[in-house]
Amino acid sequence: MVGFLTKEDALCSTHRNHLHAIAKGVDMRAMLAEIFEKSTGLCGGYGGHMHLFDSDLKFSATGIVGAGVPVALGHAYGARLKQNNAVAVAVVGDGAVNTGAFHEAMNMAGAMKLPLIVLVENNEWAISVPFSAASATETIAERAPSWAAHGVRVDGLDVEQVVDAFSNAVQRGRAGQGPSIIEAMCYRFRGHFEGDADLYRSTEEKERRRAADPIERIKATLIERSLATAAELDGIELSISNSMAEMLASVRSDPSPDAADARRYVFVD
Amino acid sequence: MERDPNVIVIGEDVGAQGGVFGATRGLQKKFGSQRVVDTPISESAITGMGVGLALEGFRPVLEIMFVDFIGVCLDQVYNAIAKNHYMSGGRIRMPIVIKTAGGCIGSGAQHSQCLWGLFAHLPGLKVVAPSNPYDAKGLLASAVESDDPVIYIEHKGLLLKRAEDFTFGREVPAERYTVPIGEAKIVRDGRDLTLITLSGTVAPAVLAAEAVAKSGIDVEVLDLRSVVPLDMVTVIESVRKTGRVLVVDEDYLSYGLSGEVITRLVEAGVALKSVKRLAVPDVPIPGAVTLERAVVPNADSIEATILEMVDKR
Ligand SMILES: Cc1ncc(C[n+]2csc(CCOP(=O)(O)OP(=O)(O)O)c2C)c(N)n1
Repeated sequence: MVGFLTKEDALCSTHRNHLHAIAKGVDMRAMLAEIFEKSTGLCGGYGGHMHLFDSDLKFSATGIVGAGVPVALGHAYGARLKQNNAVAVAVVGDGAVNTGAFHEAMNMAGAMKLPLIVLVENNEWAISVPFSAASATETIAERAPSWAAHGVRVDGLDVEQVVDAFSNAVQRGRAGQGPSIIEAMCYRFRGHFEGDADLYRSTEEKERRRAADPIERIKATLIERSLATAAELDGIELSISNSMAEMLASVRSDPSPDAADARRYVFVD
Repeated sequence: MERDPNVIVIGEDVGAQGGVFGATRGLQKKFGSQRVVDTPISESAITGMGVGLALEGFRPVLEIMFVDFIGVCLDQVYNAIAKNHYMSGGRIRMPIVIKTAGGCIGSGAQHSQCLWGLFAHLPGLKVVAPSNPYDAKGLLASAVESDDPVIYIEHKGLLLKRAEDFTFGREVPAERYTVPIGEAKIVRDGRDLTLITLSGTVAPAVLAAEAVAKSGIDVEVLDLRSVVPLDMVTVIESVRKTGRVLVVDEDYLSYGLSGEVITRLVEAGVALKSVKRLAVPDVPIPGAVTLERAVVPNADSIEATILEMVDKR
Protein backbone atom coordinates (compact mmCIF):
# COMPACT_ATOMS: atom_id res chain seq x y z
CA MET A 1 0.00 0.00 0.00
CA VAL A 2 2.99 2.25 0.61
CA GLY A 3 3.59 4.28 -2.50
CA PHE A 4 0.05 3.88 -3.82
CA LEU A 5 -2.04 5.57 -1.18
CA THR A 6 -2.01 9.29 -0.55
CA LYS A 7 -3.19 11.15 2.52
CA GLU A 8 -6.62 11.49 0.91
CA ASP A 9 -7.06 7.73 0.50
CA ALA A 10 -8.71 6.25 3.56
CA LEU A 11 -7.63 2.99 5.15
CA CYS A 12 -9.97 1.09 7.48
CA SER A 13 -8.34 -1.71 9.39
CA THR A 14 -9.10 -4.48 11.84
CA HIS A 15 -8.11 -5.98 15.17
CA ARG A 16 -4.83 -6.81 13.45
CA ASN A 17 -4.02 -3.27 12.42
CA HIS A 18 -0.47 -2.28 13.40
CA LEU A 19 1.13 -3.14 10.08
CA HIS A 20 -1.57 -1.29 8.17
CA ALA A 21 -0.99 1.79 10.31
CA ILE A 22 2.70 1.66 9.43
CA ALA A 23 1.83 1.33 5.74
CA LYS A 24 -0.41 4.41 5.96
CA GLY A 25 2.37 6.38 7.57
CA VAL A 26 1.00 6.62 11.10
CA ASP A 27 3.66 7.91 13.47
CA MET A 28 5.23 4.80 14.90
CA ARG A 29 6.08 6.17 18.29
CA ALA A 30 2.53 7.42 18.81
CA MET A 31 1.20 4.05 17.72
CA LEU A 32 3.51 2.14 20.04
CA ALA A 33 2.52 4.44 22.89
CA GLU A 34 -1.15 3.74 22.14
CA ILE A 35 -0.48 0.00 22.16
CA PHE A 36 0.93 0.56 25.64
CA GLU A 37 -2.06 2.80 26.44
CA LYS A 38 0.10 5.77 27.39
CA SER A 39 -1.09 9.36 27.48
CA THR A 40 1.42 10.07 24.70
CA GLY A 41 -0.34 7.56 22.46
CA LEU A 42 -2.08 8.21 19.16
CA CYS A 43 -5.40 8.37 21.03
CA GLY A 44 -4.07 9.41 24.42
CA GLY A 45 -4.46 5.87 25.76
CA TYR A 46 -8.26 5.96 25.47
CA GLY A 47 -8.45 3.56 22.53
CA GLY A 48 -5.81 0.89 22.97
CA HIS A 49 -4.18 -1.30 20.35
CA MET A 50 -7.35 -2.40 18.52
CA HIS A 51 -8.78 1.07 18.15
CA LEU A 52 -6.22 3.28 16.43
CA PHE A 53 -7.43 6.50 14.83
CA ASP A 54 -5.41 9.01 12.82
CA SER A 55 -7.83 11.43 11.25
CA ASP A 56 -5.16 13.38 9.36
CA LEU A 57 -4.16 10.23 7.54
CA LYS A 58 -7.72 8.90 7.30
CA PHE A 59 -6.72 5.79 9.17
CA SER A 60 -9.05 3.95 11.53
CA ALA A 61 -9.44 0.50 12.99
CA THR A 62 -12.16 -1.49 14.72
CA GLY A 63 -12.24 -4.54 16.93
CA ILE A 64 -15.55 -5.66 15.46
CA VAL A 65 -14.95 -8.13 12.63
CA GLY A 66 -16.34 -6.88 9.31
CA ALA A 67 -17.25 -3.45 10.64
CA GLY A 68 -14.53 -1.61 8.73
CA VAL A 69 -15.89 -2.40 5.27
CA PRO A 70 -19.01 -0.19 5.43
CA VAL A 71 -16.85 2.55 6.94
CA ALA A 72 -14.56 2.36 3.92
CA LEU A 73 -17.67 2.51 1.75
CA GLY A 74 -18.48 5.82 3.43
CA HIS A 75 -15.01 7.11 2.65
CA ALA A 76 -15.42 5.97 -0.95
CA TYR A 77 -18.68 7.85 -1.30
CA GLY A 78 -17.08 10.85 0.40
CA ALA A 79 -14.42 10.76 -2.30
CA ARG A 80 -17.13 10.84 -4.96
CA LEU A 81 -18.87 13.78 -3.27
CA LYS A 82 -15.60 15.66 -2.99
CA GLN A 83 -14.50 14.61 -6.48
CA ASN A 84 -10.95 14.27 -5.19
CA ASN A 85 -10.11 11.06 -7.06
CA ALA A 86 -9.36 9.27 -3.81
CA VAL A 87 -9.89 5.56 -3.19
CA ALA A 88 -10.88 3.89 0.07
CA VAL A 89 -9.31 0.69 1.33
CA ALA A 90 -10.66 -1.79 3.83
CA VAL A 91 -8.38 -4.52 5.04
CA VAL A 92 -10.17 -7.54 6.47
CA GLY A 93 -9.45 -11.16 7.32
CA ASP A 94 -11.02 -14.15 5.62
CA GLY A 95 -13.40 -14.43 8.57
CA ALA A 96 -14.87 -11.00 7.92
CA VAL A 97 -16.06 -11.87 4.42
CA ASN A 98 -18.86 -13.92 5.96
CA THR A 99 -20.39 -11.03 7.87
CA GLY A 100 -23.49 -9.23 6.73
CA ALA A 101 -21.62 -5.93 6.84
CA PHE A 102 -19.17 -7.15 4.19
CA HIS A 103 -21.90 -8.30 1.79
CA GLU A 104 -24.00 -5.18 2.23
CA ALA A 105 -21.06 -2.85 1.69
CA MET A 106 -19.75 -4.77 -1.33
CA ASN A 107 -23.15 -4.71 -2.97
CA MET A 108 -23.52 -0.97 -2.47
CA ALA A 109 -20.01 -0.32 -3.73
CA GLY A 110 -20.81 -2.36 -6.87
CA ALA A 111 -24.21 -0.76 -7.38
CA MET A 112 -22.75 2.72 -6.99
CA LYS A 113 -19.45 1.88 -8.76
CA LEU A 114 -17.48 3.31 -5.86
CA PRO A 115 -13.69 3.30 -5.53
CA LEU A 116 -13.63 0.73 -2.73
CA ILE A 117 -10.72 -1.68 -2.45
CA VAL A 118 -11.06 -4.59 -0.09
CA LEU A 119 -7.81 -6.29 0.70
CA VAL A 120 -8.56 -9.65 2.28
CA GLU A 121 -5.73 -11.19 4.25
CA ASN A 122 -6.76 -14.81 3.82
CA ASN A 123 -4.72 -16.65 6.44
CA GLU A 124 -7.09 -19.60 6.10
CA TRP A 125 -8.26 -19.44 9.71
CA ALA A 126 -10.72 -17.37 11.72
CA ILE A 127 -9.48 -18.29 15.18
CA SER A 128 -10.16 -22.07 15.11
CA VAL A 129 -12.53 -22.23 12.14
CA PRO A 130 -10.88 -22.96 8.78
CA PHE A 131 -11.88 -20.84 5.80
CA SER A 132 -12.69 -24.00 3.85
CA ALA A 133 -15.44 -24.85 6.35
CA ALA A 134 -16.78 -21.29 6.65
CA SER A 135 -17.08 -20.21 3.03
CA ALA A 136 -19.54 -21.42 0.42
CA THR A 137 -17.05 -20.61 -2.30
CA GLU A 138 -13.56 -21.98 -2.58
CA THR A 139 -12.06 -18.53 -2.96
CA ILE A 140 -13.17 -15.04 -2.06
CA ALA A 141 -12.01 -13.60 -5.36
CA GLU A 142 -14.60 -15.65 -7.25
CA ARG A 143 -17.39 -13.93 -5.35
CA ALA A 144 -16.43 -10.57 -6.86
CA PRO A 145 -18.65 -10.72 -9.97
CA SER A 146 -21.76 -10.91 -7.80
CA TRP A 147 -20.99 -7.37 -6.69
CA ALA A 148 -19.76 -6.16 -10.09
CA ALA A 149 -16.32 -6.00 -8.53
CA HIS A 150 -12.94 -7.03 -9.85
CA GLY A 151 -11.58 -10.02 -7.94
CA VAL A 152 -8.11 -11.51 -7.83
CA ARG A 153 -6.37 -14.03 -5.61
CA VAL A 154 -2.62 -13.64 -5.10
CA ASP A 155 0.12 -15.17 -3.00
CA GLY A 156 0.06 -12.63 -0.21
CA LEU A 157 3.51 -13.69 0.96
CA ASP A 158 4.98 -12.67 -2.37
CA VAL A 159 5.59 -8.95 -2.18
CA GLU A 160 5.63 -8.40 -5.93
CA GLN A 161 2.31 -10.14 -6.54
CA VAL A 162 0.67 -8.03 -3.85
CA VAL A 163 2.18 -4.84 -5.24
CA ASP A 164 0.88 -5.61 -8.74
CA ALA A 165 -2.61 -6.48 -7.57
CA PHE A 166 -2.84 -3.44 -5.34
CA SER A 167 -1.55 -1.08 -7.98
CA ASN A 168 -4.14 -2.41 -10.41
CA ALA A 169 -6.97 -2.02 -7.90
CA VAL A 170 -5.97 1.57 -7.13
CA GLN A 171 -5.85 2.39 -10.84
CA ARG A 172 -9.30 0.90 -11.36
CA GLY A 173 -10.67 2.84 -8.43
CA ARG A 174 -9.22 6.15 -9.58
CA ALA A 175 -10.44 5.50 -13.13
CA GLY A 176 -14.00 5.09 -11.89
CA GLN A 177 -14.14 1.38 -12.71
CA GLY A 178 -15.67 0.38 -9.39
CA PRO A 179 -14.72 -1.83 -6.45
CA SER A 180 -11.98 -4.46 -6.25
CA ILE A 181 -11.29 -7.41 -4.01
CA ILE A 182 -7.73 -8.60 -3.56
CA GLU A 183 -7.53 -11.94 -1.82
CA ALA A 184 -4.00 -12.22 -0.50
CA MET A 185 -3.19 -15.72 0.73
CA CYS A 186 -1.10 -15.79 3.89
CA TYR A 187 -0.72 -17.58 7.20
CA ARG A 188 -0.85 -16.70 10.88
CA PHE A 189 2.41 -17.82 12.44
CA ARG A 190 1.19 -17.63 16.03
CA GLY A 191 -1.98 -18.36 18.00
CA HIS A 192 -4.93 -16.01 17.53
CA PHE A 193 -4.51 -14.38 20.94
CA GLU A 194 -1.93 -14.59 23.71
CA GLY A 195 -2.73 -17.82 25.52
CA ASP A 196 -4.33 -19.51 22.50
CA ALA A 197 -3.22 -23.16 22.73
CA ASP A 198 -3.66 -23.30 18.93
CA LEU A 199 -4.43 -27.04 18.93
CA TYR A 200 -6.73 -26.73 15.93
CA ARG A 201 -3.72 -26.57 13.59
CA SER A 202 -1.20 -29.39 13.43
CA THR A 203 2.43 -28.77 14.38
CA GLU A 204 3.43 -30.14 11.00
CA GLU A 205 1.24 -27.57 9.22
CA LYS A 206 2.55 -24.72 11.31
CA GLU A 207 6.19 -25.64 10.75
CA ARG A 208 5.73 -26.16 7.04
CA ARG A 209 3.98 -22.83 6.59
CA ARG A 210 6.57 -21.00 8.67
CA ALA A 211 9.10 -21.78 5.97
CA ALA A 212 7.30 -19.37 3.63
CA ASP A 213 8.12 -16.31 5.75
CA PRO A 214 7.59 -13.39 3.35
CA ILE A 215 10.44 -11.37 4.81
CA GLU A 216 12.92 -14.16 4.19
CA ARG A 217 11.52 -14.56 0.68
CA ILE A 218 11.88 -10.92 -0.30
CA LYS A 219 15.37 -10.85 1.18
CA ALA A 220 16.37 -13.82 -0.97
CA THR A 221 14.90 -12.13 -4.04
CA LEU A 222 16.79 -8.89 -3.39
CA ILE A 223 20.04 -10.76 -2.98
CA GLU A 224 19.44 -12.94 -6.04
CA ARG A 225 18.87 -9.87 -8.19
CA SER A 226 21.94 -8.19 -6.73
CA LEU A 227 19.84 -5.33 -5.40
CA ALA A 228 21.31 -5.81 -1.96
CA THR A 229 23.83 -7.98 -0.22
CA ALA A 230 23.07 -10.19 2.76
CA ALA A 231 25.35 -7.99 4.84
CA GLU A 232 23.47 -4.83 3.85
CA LEU A 233 20.14 -6.40 4.71
CA ASP A 234 21.44 -7.64 8.05
CA GLY A 235 22.71 -4.13 8.69
CA ILE A 236 19.30 -2.61 7.94
CA GLU A 237 17.58 -5.15 10.16
CA LEU A 238 19.98 -4.54 13.01
CA SER A 239 19.66 -0.78 12.85
CA ILE A 240 15.85 -0.95 12.71
CA SER A 241 15.65 -3.38 15.58
CA ASN A 242 18.00 -1.19 17.62
CA SER A 243 15.93 1.90 17.00
CA MET A 244 12.74 -0.03 17.83
CA ALA A 245 14.28 -1.26 21.07
CA GLU A 246 15.13 2.32 21.96
CA MET A 247 11.64 3.50 21.09
CA LEU A 248 10.12 0.74 23.16
CA ALA A 249 12.23 1.60 26.18
CA SER A 250 11.30 5.24 25.91
CA VAL A 251 7.57 4.50 25.42
CA ARG A 252 7.53 2.25 28.46
CA SER A 253 8.58 5.15 30.64
CA ASP A 254 5.84 7.44 29.29
CA PRO A 255 3.04 8.36 31.71
CA SER A 256 -0.31 6.60 31.74
CA PRO A 257 -3.39 8.78 31.35
CA ASP A 258 -4.53 10.57 34.48
CA ALA A 259 -7.43 8.80 36.18
CA ALA A 260 -9.04 12.22 36.78
CA ASP A 261 -9.55 12.52 33.00
CA ALA A 262 -11.47 9.25 32.63
CA ARG A 263 -14.75 10.99 31.85
CA ARG A 264 -13.37 13.30 29.17
CA TYR A 265 -14.28 12.82 25.50
CA VAL A 266 -17.68 11.17 25.96
CA PHE A 267 -19.05 14.25 24.24
CA VAL A 268 -17.27 17.00 22.37
CA ASP A 269 -17.38 19.40 25.29
CA MET B 1 -27.78 -32.18 26.00
CA GLU B 2 -27.83 -35.78 27.18
CA ARG B 3 -31.42 -35.42 28.35
CA ASP B 4 -32.76 -33.47 25.42
CA PRO B 5 -31.64 -34.20 21.86
CA ASN B 6 -33.24 -30.94 20.76
CA VAL B 7 -30.53 -28.87 22.45
CA ILE B 8 -28.19 -27.61 19.73
CA VAL B 9 -25.09 -25.46 20.33
CA ILE B 10 -24.16 -23.03 17.58
CA GLY B 11 -21.45 -20.39 17.46
CA GLU B 12 -17.97 -19.28 16.50
CA ASP B 13 -15.21 -21.59 17.74
CA VAL B 14 -17.55 -23.62 19.98
CA GLY B 15 -16.75 -26.94 18.29
CA ALA B 16 -13.19 -27.97 17.47
CA GLN B 17 -11.70 -25.43 19.87
CA GLY B 18 -14.36 -25.73 22.55
CA GLY B 19 -14.88 -21.98 22.85
CA VAL B 20 -12.32 -19.20 23.29
CA PHE B 21 -12.70 -19.65 27.06
CA GLY B 22 -12.98 -23.46 26.87
CA ALA B 23 -16.63 -23.35 27.97
CA THR B 24 -17.74 -25.93 25.38
CA ARG B 25 -14.59 -28.05 25.47
CA GLY B 26 -15.24 -31.71 24.63
CA LEU B 27 -18.85 -31.04 23.66
CA GLN B 28 -18.42 -31.62 19.95
CA LYS B 29 -16.51 -34.86 20.55
CA LYS B 30 -19.36 -36.08 22.72
CA PHE B 31 -22.37 -34.89 20.75
CA GLY B 32 -21.02 -34.61 17.23
CA SER B 33 -20.72 -31.75 14.80
CA GLN B 34 -24.45 -31.77 13.95
CA ARG B 35 -25.34 -30.69 17.46
CA VAL B 36 -22.27 -28.60 18.21
CA VAL B 37 -21.80 -26.38 15.20
CA ASP B 38 -18.82 -24.17 14.39
CA THR B 39 -19.98 -21.21 12.35
CA PRO B 40 -18.47 -18.52 10.16
CA ILE B 41 -18.34 -15.02 11.69
CA SER B 42 -21.98 -14.42 10.85
CA GLU B 43 -23.81 -13.28 13.97
CA SER B 44 -26.98 -12.21 12.14
CA ALA B 45 -27.22 -15.64 10.54
CA ILE B 46 -26.49 -17.38 13.85
CA THR B 47 -29.25 -15.56 15.75
CA GLY B 48 -31.75 -15.67 12.89
CA MET B 49 -31.02 -19.36 12.50
CA GLY B 50 -31.76 -19.77 16.19
CA VAL B 51 -35.21 -18.30 15.62
CA GLY B 52 -35.88 -20.75 12.78
CA LEU B 53 -34.60 -23.70 14.78
CA ALA B 54 -36.80 -22.71 17.71
CA LEU B 55 -39.75 -22.64 15.31
CA GLU B 56 -38.71 -26.14 14.26
CA GLY B 57 -38.95 -27.28 17.86
CA PHE B 58 -35.27 -27.21 18.81
CA ARG B 59 -33.64 -25.53 21.80
CA PRO B 60 -30.74 -23.57 20.36
CA VAL B 61 -27.91 -22.40 22.57
CA LEU B 62 -26.31 -19.64 20.52
CA GLU B 63 -22.89 -18.50 21.52
CA ILE B 64 -21.99 -14.92 20.65
CA MET B 65 -18.39 -14.74 21.77
CA PHE B 66 -18.51 -11.31 23.47
CA VAL B 67 -21.65 -9.42 24.39
CA ASP B 68 -20.29 -6.42 22.46
CA PHE B 69 -20.72 -8.35 19.20
CA ILE B 70 -24.46 -8.72 19.74
CA GLY B 71 -24.55 -5.24 18.25
CA VAL B 72 -24.15 -6.95 14.89
CA CYS B 73 -27.31 -9.06 15.34
CA LEU B 74 -29.38 -7.01 17.74
CA ASP B 75 -32.22 -6.98 15.23
CA GLN B 76 -32.89 -10.71 15.56
CA VAL B 77 -32.51 -10.42 19.34
CA TYR B 78 -34.95 -7.63 19.96
CA ASN B 79 -37.27 -7.78 16.99
CA ALA B 80 -37.69 -11.55 16.86
CA ILE B 81 -36.33 -13.52 19.82
CA ALA B 82 -37.71 -11.14 22.45
CA LYS B 83 -41.08 -10.49 20.80
CA ASN B 84 -42.20 -13.53 18.82
CA HIS B 85 -43.97 -15.20 21.73
CA TYR B 86 -45.88 -12.01 22.41
CA MET B 87 -46.63 -11.12 18.80
CA SER B 88 -47.97 -14.60 18.18
CA GLY B 89 -50.37 -14.21 21.06
CA GLY B 90 -48.46 -16.89 22.95
CA ARG B 91 -48.70 -19.37 20.09
CA ILE B 92 -45.01 -19.77 19.44
CA ARG B 93 -42.12 -20.09 21.83
CA MET B 94 -38.54 -18.97 21.64
CA PRO B 95 -36.62 -21.34 23.96
CA ILE B 96 -33.29 -19.83 22.95
CA VAL B 97 -30.22 -19.21 25.08
CA ILE B 98 -27.76 -16.58 23.93
CA LYS B 99 -24.62 -17.43 25.82
CA THR B 100 -22.09 -14.66 25.79
CA ALA B 101 -19.25 -13.07 27.75
CA GLY B 102 -19.05 -9.58 29.21
CA GLY B 103 -17.04 -7.59 31.70
CA CYS B 104 -13.77 -5.70 31.92
CA ILE B 105 -10.39 -7.34 31.62
CA GLY B 106 -8.45 -4.42 30.20
CA SER B 107 -9.61 -4.81 26.59
CA GLY B 108 -10.97 -1.35 25.80
CA ALA B 109 -14.30 -0.01 24.64
CA GLN B 110 -15.40 -2.71 22.17
CA HIS B 111 -14.56 -5.81 24.22
CA SER B 112 -15.48 -4.90 27.80
CA GLN B 113 -19.15 -4.08 28.12
CA CYS B 114 -21.69 -5.87 30.32
CA LEU B 115 -24.90 -4.56 28.68
CA TRP B 116 -27.32 -6.55 30.87
CA GLY B 117 -29.21 -3.32 31.42
CA LEU B 118 -29.75 -3.03 27.67
CA PHE B 119 -31.22 -6.52 27.34
CA ALA B 120 -33.26 -6.07 30.51
CA HIS B 121 -34.84 -2.99 28.95
CA LEU B 122 -36.21 -5.09 26.09
CA PRO B 123 -39.39 -6.87 27.18
CA GLY B 124 -39.35 -10.63 26.70
CA LEU B 125 -35.77 -11.52 27.54
CA LYS B 126 -34.59 -13.14 30.76
CA VAL B 127 -31.15 -11.90 31.68
CA VAL B 128 -28.78 -13.99 33.78
CA ALA B 129 -25.25 -13.21 34.98
CA PRO B 130 -23.63 -15.69 37.39
CA SER B 131 -20.85 -14.84 39.86
CA ASN B 132 -19.37 -18.26 40.61
CA PRO B 133 -18.88 -21.77 39.15
CA TYR B 134 -21.73 -23.43 41.08
CA ASP B 135 -24.30 -20.89 39.94
CA ALA B 136 -22.86 -20.78 36.42
CA LYS B 137 -23.65 -24.45 35.87
CA GLY B 138 -27.02 -24.45 37.62
CA LEU B 139 -28.24 -21.26 35.97
CA LEU B 140 -27.13 -22.43 32.54
CA ALA B 141 -29.09 -25.66 33.00
CA SER B 142 -32.16 -23.60 33.95
CA ALA B 143 -31.62 -21.32 30.96
CA VAL B 144 -31.50 -24.25 28.55
CA GLU B 145 -34.65 -25.65 30.15
CA SER B 146 -36.48 -22.33 30.00
CA ASP B 147 -39.21 -21.89 27.40
CA ASP B 148 -38.40 -18.17 27.33
CA PRO B 149 -35.32 -16.70 25.69
CA VAL B 150 -32.42 -16.14 28.08
CA ILE B 151 -29.43 -13.88 27.62
CA TYR B 152 -26.78 -15.64 29.68
CA ILE B 153 -23.80 -13.36 30.30
CA GLU B 154 -20.65 -14.81 31.80
CA HIS B 155 -17.95 -12.49 33.09
CA LYS B 156 -14.65 -12.81 31.22
CA GLY B 157 -12.68 -12.19 34.39
CA LEU B 158 -14.47 -15.10 36.06
CA LEU B 159 -14.08 -17.35 33.03
CA LEU B 160 -10.33 -16.81 33.19
CA LYS B 161 -10.19 -17.54 36.94
CA ARG B 162 -9.43 -21.02 38.26
CA ALA B 163 -12.20 -22.70 40.22
CA GLU B 164 -10.05 -23.02 43.34
CA ASP B 165 -9.49 -19.24 43.38
CA PHE B 166 -13.17 -18.55 44.03
CA THR B 167 -14.05 -17.87 47.65
CA PHE B 168 -17.63 -19.02 47.21
CA GLY B 169 -19.47 -21.44 44.92
CA ARG B 170 -16.33 -23.22 43.85
CA GLU B 171 -17.60 -26.79 44.47
CA VAL B 172 -19.38 -27.97 41.34
CA PRO B 173 -21.14 -31.32 41.49
CA ALA B 174 -20.53 -33.52 38.46
CA GLU B 175 -24.19 -34.48 38.22
CA ARG B 176 -26.91 -32.31 36.77
CA TYR B 177 -28.65 -29.73 38.95
CA THR B 178 -30.39 -26.43 38.36
CA VAL B 179 -30.32 -23.06 40.08
CA PRO B 180 -33.66 -21.33 39.53
CA ILE B 181 -33.57 -18.12 37.50
CA GLY B 182 -34.94 -15.14 39.42
CA GLU B 183 -33.70 -15.87 42.95
CA ALA B 184 -31.09 -13.60 44.44
CA LYS B 185 -28.63 -15.04 46.94
CA ILE B 186 -27.40 -13.55 50.15
CA VAL B 187 -23.67 -14.07 49.93
CA ARG B 188 -22.91 -12.39 53.26
CA ASP B 189 -25.24 -11.52 56.12
CA GLY B 190 -25.17 -8.03 57.60
CA ARG B 191 -27.23 -5.46 59.54
CA ASP B 192 -26.02 -2.02 58.49
CA LEU B 193 -26.21 -1.83 54.72
CA THR B 194 -27.45 -3.94 51.81
CA LEU B 195 -24.98 -4.13 48.95
CA ILE B 196 -26.71 -5.33 45.81
CA THR B 197 -24.63 -6.56 42.90
CA LEU B 198 -24.01 -9.48 40.52
CA SER B 199 -21.48 -11.18 38.26
CA GLY B 200 -17.87 -10.00 38.46
CA THR B 201 -18.40 -7.44 41.21
CA VAL B 202 -19.73 -9.90 43.82
CA ALA B 203 -16.25 -11.00 44.88
CA PRO B 204 -14.87 -7.43 45.23
CA ALA B 205 -18.05 -6.52 47.12
CA VAL B 206 -17.41 -9.31 49.62
CA LEU B 207 -13.79 -8.17 49.96
CA ALA B 208 -14.95 -4.60 50.63
CA ALA B 209 -17.52 -5.88 53.15
CA GLU B 210 -14.81 -7.75 54.98
CA ALA B 211 -12.56 -4.69 54.96
CA VAL B 212 -15.20 -2.41 56.50
CA ALA B 213 -16.14 -5.10 59.04
CA LYS B 214 -12.90 -4.10 60.78
CA SER B 215 -14.45 -0.66 61.35
CA GLY B 216 -17.55 -2.32 62.79
CA ILE B 217 -19.69 -1.92 59.66
CA ASP B 218 -21.78 -4.97 58.92
CA VAL B 219 -22.62 -5.24 55.23
CA GLU B 220 -25.09 -7.67 53.70
CA VAL B 221 -24.03 -8.66 50.19
CA LEU B 222 -26.71 -9.76 47.80
CA ASP B 223 -25.93 -11.46 44.49
CA LEU B 224 -28.89 -10.83 42.17
CA ARG B 225 -27.86 -13.63 39.77
CA SER B 226 -30.45 -12.42 37.27
CA VAL B 227 -31.48 -8.93 36.16
CA VAL B 228 -34.73 -10.25 34.68
CA PRO B 229 -36.53 -11.48 36.67
CA LEU B 230 -35.38 -9.15 39.43
CA ASP B 231 -35.82 -10.75 42.86
CA MET B 232 -37.31 -7.77 44.69
CA VAL B 233 -38.65 -9.98 47.50
CA THR B 234 -35.14 -10.73 48.71
CA VAL B 235 -33.99 -7.16 48.05
CA ILE B 236 -36.87 -5.57 49.97
CA GLU B 237 -36.53 -7.94 52.91
CA SER B 238 -32.84 -7.14 53.22
CA VAL B 239 -33.21 -3.37 52.86
CA ARG B 240 -36.09 -3.30 55.37
CA LYS B 241 -33.59 -4.75 57.84
CA THR B 242 -30.61 -2.49 57.02
CA GLY B 243 -32.25 0.72 55.78
CA ARG B 244 -29.26 1.46 53.56
CA VAL B 245 -28.76 0.38 49.98
CA LEU B 246 -25.76 0.45 47.69
CA VAL B 247 -26.09 -0.95 44.18
CA VAL B 248 -22.77 -1.86 42.55
CA ASP B 249 -23.02 -2.44 38.82
CA GLU B 250 -20.25 -3.00 36.24
CA ASP B 251 -22.71 -1.91 33.53
CA TYR B 252 -23.33 1.75 32.66
CA LEU B 253 -24.92 3.89 35.39
CA SER B 254 -27.83 5.68 33.77
CA TYR B 255 -31.12 4.10 32.70
CA GLY B 256 -29.96 0.78 34.11
CA LEU B 257 -30.03 -1.82 36.85
CA SER B 258 -29.10 0.46 39.74
CA GLY B 259 -31.84 2.99 39.00
CA GLU B 260 -34.35 0.17 38.55
CA VAL B 261 -33.61 -1.51 41.89
CA ILE B 262 -33.76 1.75 43.81
CA THR B 263 -36.94 2.93 42.10
CA ARG B 264 -38.64 -0.34 42.95
CA LEU B 265 -37.57 0.05 46.57
CA VAL B 266 -39.01 3.56 46.66
CA GLU B 267 -42.22 2.40 45.00
CA ALA B 268 -42.52 -0.36 47.58
CA GLY B 269 -42.33 2.29 50.30
CA VAL B 270 -39.20 0.89 51.93
CA ALA B 271 -37.71 3.42 54.35
CA LEU B 272 -34.24 4.40 53.15
CA LYS B 273 -31.66 6.14 55.34
CA SER B 274 -29.00 6.17 52.68
CA VAL B 275 -28.90 5.27 48.98
CA LYS B 276 -26.00 5.13 46.54
CA ARG B 277 -25.08 3.66 43.18
CA LEU B 278 -21.63 2.72 42.03
CA ALA B 279 -21.52 1.90 38.32
CA VAL B 280 -19.63 2.86 35.17
CA PRO B 281 -20.27 6.62 35.05
CA ASP B 282 -21.70 6.74 31.53
CA VAL B 283 -18.41 6.48 29.70
CA PRO B 284 -17.20 3.84 27.26
CA ILE B 285 -14.65 1.51 28.88
CA PRO B 286 -11.30 3.22 28.30
CA GLY B 287 -8.18 1.50 26.98
CA ALA B 288 -5.66 2.50 29.62
CA VAL B 289 -5.80 0.55 32.87
CA THR B 290 -5.43 3.74 34.91
CA LEU B 291 -8.63 5.02 33.29
CA GLU B 292 -10.42 1.67 33.49
CA ARG B 293 -9.78 1.50 37.23
CA ALA B 294 -11.20 4.98 37.60
CA VAL B 295 -14.55 4.06 36.05
CA VAL B 296 -15.11 0.36 36.84
CA PRO B 297 -16.16 -0.50 40.40
CA ASN B 298 -13.52 -2.41 42.36
CA ALA B 299 -13.01 -3.46 45.98
CA ASP B 300 -11.39 -0.12 46.88
CA SER B 301 -14.05 2.10 45.37
CA ILE B 302 -16.78 -0.09 46.88
CA GLU B 303 -15.16 0.16 50.30
CA ALA B 304 -14.85 3.94 50.01
CA THR B 305 -18.51 4.23 49.05
CA ILE B 306 -19.63 2.10 52.00
CA LEU B 307 -17.58 4.27 54.36
CA GLU B 308 -19.32 7.38 52.99
CA MET B 309 -22.70 5.80 53.66
CA VAL B 310 -22.25 4.38 57.15
CA ASP B 311 -20.73 6.50 59.88
CA LYS B 312 -19.76 4.31 62.81
CA ARG B 313 -17.70 6.83 64.73
C1 LIG C 1 -18.51 -9.28 14.97
C2 LIG C 1 -17.42 -10.00 15.66
N1 LIG C 1 -17.56 -11.33 15.89
C3 LIG C 1 -16.57 -12.02 16.51
C4 LIG C 1 -15.44 -11.39 16.92
C5 LIG C 1 -14.35 -12.16 17.64
N2 LIG C 1 -13.20 -12.35 16.75
C6 LIG C 1 -12.16 -11.50 16.76
S1 LIG C 1 -11.03 -11.85 15.58
C7 LIG C 1 -11.93 -13.17 15.04
C8 LIG C 1 -11.43 -13.97 13.89
C9 LIG C 1 -11.23 -13.13 12.72
O1 LIG C 1 -10.82 -13.88 11.65
P1 LIG C 1 -10.34 -13.18 10.32
O2 LIG C 1 -11.32 -12.15 9.89
O3 LIG C 1 -10.00 -14.25 9.35
O4 LIG C 1 -9.04 -12.38 10.76
P2 LIG C 1 -7.67 -12.97 11.36
O5 LIG C 1 -7.74 -12.78 12.83
O6 LIG C 1 -7.55 -14.40 10.97
O7 LIG C 1 -6.62 -12.10 10.75
C10 LIG C 1 -13.09 -13.32 15.79
C11 LIG C 1 -14.09 -14.38 15.59
C12 LIG C 1 -15.35 -9.99 16.70
N3 LIG C 1 -14.27 -9.29 17.10
N4 LIG C 1 -16.34 -9.34 16.07
